[in-house]
Amino acid sequence: MEVGSLYFHCRPIPWSPELRRLTKPTLPRFLFFCRASSSSSNSRADYKGPKPRRDWVADLVSNNDDAVRSLPIYVGGASLLAVLINRTVSGIAPVADASSSQSRADLLALGLAVTNILTGLVWLSIRPKPISVVNPEGVECQRIYSHLPDSVSSELLWVWESLSDVTCCRTLIVVYDGHCILQIGFAAKSSIGDGEPVAVDAIKLTQGSLYQNVIKSGAQTYLANLSLYPGKSELPFLPSNTQAVILQPLGEKGVAIIGGDTIRGFTTSDQAWITLIGEKLDATIAKNVKNLTLSAQE
Amino acid sequence: MSNLLYSNPLIQFKMKIIPAQFPAKKSTMKPASISSRLQNSQTPSNQQLNLSVLRFTLGIPGLDESYLPRWIGYGFASLLILNHFLGSDSATPTPAQLRTEAIGLSLAAFSVIIPYLGKFLKGASAADQATIPEGTEQIFVMSQNILDTKKEDLAWATYILLRNTNTIAVLISVQGALCARGYWNIPEEASRKNLLEWFEKQIERIGLKNLKDTLYFPQNSDSVLWELLPKGTRSLLVQPVLQVPKPGANQMEGIEGEGFVLLASSRGYAYSDRDKAWIGALANKFGEN
Repeated sequence: MEVGSLYFHCRPIPWSPELRRLTKPTLPRFLFFCRASSSSSNSRADYKGPKPRRDWVADLVSNNDDAVRSLPIYVGGASLLAVLINRTVSGIAPVADASSSQSRADLLALGLAVTNILTGLVWLSIRPKPISVVNPEGVECQRIYSHLPDSVSSELLWVWESLSDVTCCRTLIVVYDGHCILQIGFAAKSSIGDGEPVAVDAIKLTQGSLYQNVIKSGAQTYLANLSLYPGKSELPFLPSNTQAVILQPLGEKGVAIIGGDTIRGFTTSDQAWITLIGEKLDATIAKNVKNLTLSAQE
Repeated sequence: MSNLLYSNPLIQFKMKIIPAQFPAKKSTMKPASISSRLQNSQTPSNQQLNLSVLRFTLGIPGLDESYLPRWIGYGFASLLILNHFLGSDSATPTPAQLRTEAIGLSLAAFSVIIPYLGKFLKGASAADQATIPEGTEQIFVMSQNILDTKKEDLAWATYILLRNTNTIAVLISVQGALCARGYWNIPEEASRKNLLEWFEKQIERIGLKNLKDTLYFPQNSDSVLWELLPKGTRSLLVQPVLQVPKPGANQMEGIEGEGFVLLASSRGYAYSDRDKAWIGALANKFGEN
């Protein structure tokens, strides 16, 4: 049947709101009817709702950020010139009074042009400064404590994947109960000569002031520009050019050290997410691992 | 003046007092740059210094200056029209006046859409807070016949979504387990006990179970999907939970959808790219189990 064959044509086209495709706006409805008419033949009902429209204005503006920022200046400036040229060309005396309606209209148009120019200047002044990524110098490593239950290790790996996908994180180290249970991502290369990643000396770390302060305050510490902090020497396992570090306490027994490759690269939203993820991680580890040293001896 | 990152004047941003020199401000964008993060500071508990943005403001609290061009555009356009009809010396306006008025009206139209364009620029973030719509009640229901660890995961995930994003209502359905939390419009006929069944029925009707693509509706739209949502919803994000393919699995089979995470917000354009990335990472957690 015709509808059925149309369905088979529609089916393989993935529709994603972020895809920049030149499809006509009527196409989503077309797809919608396609699916709805033949979904009854499927055992699992397909999504029958509407597909989101591609927001081309948003895409256009975000892609041409610089041009859009200076656009009001050009529009305002051009209109200003046009009004003045109009006034001179029409032979009106260049007197700025509001007595004739022509002058009043000119003044209103000038006011609007000035508003546009000012808005353009404000937009230019609030342009965010671009910060470049600094690739960490070191070797990749993935060390995970061998005596962890599956639930804990899968949770740790999920945390690493989320952080490395979403944020500028390139190194993740989790220290709990005096042991380093995870070291993943980039690590400093050992200077001994074999080029192995530097291991985390958990005992030394837990005695250092950085760790002690974090545990005592119980709050996340964000070192947005690591090169300026003298406490950097307590983190020798991080690549030497790590730009930003977040130290997230995991309850009272552990800390997660997250190294990023951009100065001030972690947004406040990232910080909030990391705080809550840290709490979850602490709950998971505390529940599943009673005592790390005991489990190592089993 | 040191190079600070600016944002909307009503949003405070954090700055660390660093006694060092900032690199010179470059006027060209580097191709490999990461656009900076100008977010609303919601965690005042850390030790960073809050500074208001140094920008021209009228100083009136609660007034959003970024909408000023729009009001000026409306005001001046109405004055222009008033001038056209009431203020002419002779009977008919001269061509010069008509030209000026045309320029003025098009400028006014451009001024009106300026705040809309400004919303999409990098670093813009809306100042209005998420409001709780009328007539909703706060609920927290979860399927009962699932493992305790699953319950904890669902409770934590709904909590973190409500807390960290501009969400008023969240609905997670994964592998047969359902959890709804936040402010929903519950019809009277669904009592506490069959709330879960009501949600299930709605999901079946829309067919969300087999979702494979992320849906993001930044603005209100009239469709069947929206009947489920609380009345004041302005943006909606549905993130599918896809099964993480096991190593060695047949790639031709395709990825099955295992569920979805649905987020509703009372603000338009509520989810930035960063928010969507985090929500996707959270959905992956459920896909791995």
